[in-house]
Amino acid sequence: MKRKTLFWIVLFAVLAAASAGMYLLRGGAGGTVAAVYVDGELRDRIDLSAAVIPYELTVETEYGYNTLRVSHGAVEVAEADCDEQVCVHQGAIRDSLVPIVCLPHRLVIQIEEPEP
Amino acid sequence: MRGTKKLVFMALLAAISLVVWVIEAQIPAPIPVPGVKLGLASVVTLTAMALLGRKEALAVLLVRIVLAGVFAGSFSAILFSLAGGLLSWLVMALTLGLFPENRLWVVSVFGAIAHNAGQLLAAMLVTKTTALIAYAPALLCAAIVTGAFTGAAAQALQKPLRGHIR
Repeated sequence: MKRKTLFWIVLFAVLAAASAGMYLLRGGAGGTVAAVYVDGELRDRIDLSAAVIPYELTVETEYGYNTLRVSHGAVEVAEADCDEQVCVHQGAIRDSLVPIVCLPHRLVIQIEEPEP
Repeated sequence: MRGTKKLVFMALLAAISLVVWVIEAQIPAPIPVPGVKLGLASVVTLTAMALLGRKEALAVLLVRIVLAGVFAGSFSAILFSLAGGLLSWLVMALTLGLFPENRLWVVSVFGAIAHNAGQLLAAMLVTKTTALIAYAPALLCAAIVTGAFTGAAAQALQKPLRGHIR
């Protein structure tokens, strides 16, 4: 194998490993409030610590609806009438690092970082 | 290659990439990160670029994106495909001349990174939230892996196809 080819293989392997590590080994900043944004505007704030008994909540937008399942410390999209269902397949989130996104409905669910 | 023969070859490439795209859309995503997929249609874009030229690859890409949007039945799908596809095309067009044929896969990796960056930016514009940047490392990692794979596939196609396009 040529040295130049090896250089690119090593470079990309390191970059891929570093970014995967950054994503997977991120520190968990667990919050208790889930903020629901539609079109970049705050639509709803859900207190996850208060949800002792899981319940469902439907967010209606001009683009369609998303039914959220709220349980203690976690939130997920249980059902949505979008054609991609990416948000449904994503499952529940428990920390502030990665939001749930439903692009067709311009919806973002983000767990807020706890106040210091 | 020129004239009618080239036109037919480009139409063939557009048709192939469309079929590949439709089939790939039926396969559920293997990782729970929104937007991650193999991007098999980019094998065709890169093949077209290396064999025929940058403009020809852009034509094949645009035909595929518009027709795929019609098949998927959503306008926003076209918008996201354009954001990723055009940025990817631009980066591959700029880097194609820098690498010999046996390192075509490197061009593909750069293209894949640009594709995912373009889609992430489009998603951030659409939702008007910067929180999506949290996905950037996952998308970068996915782009390197998928880009290397599709690039290797396009690279393997060079020699067998080159004999046929005189």
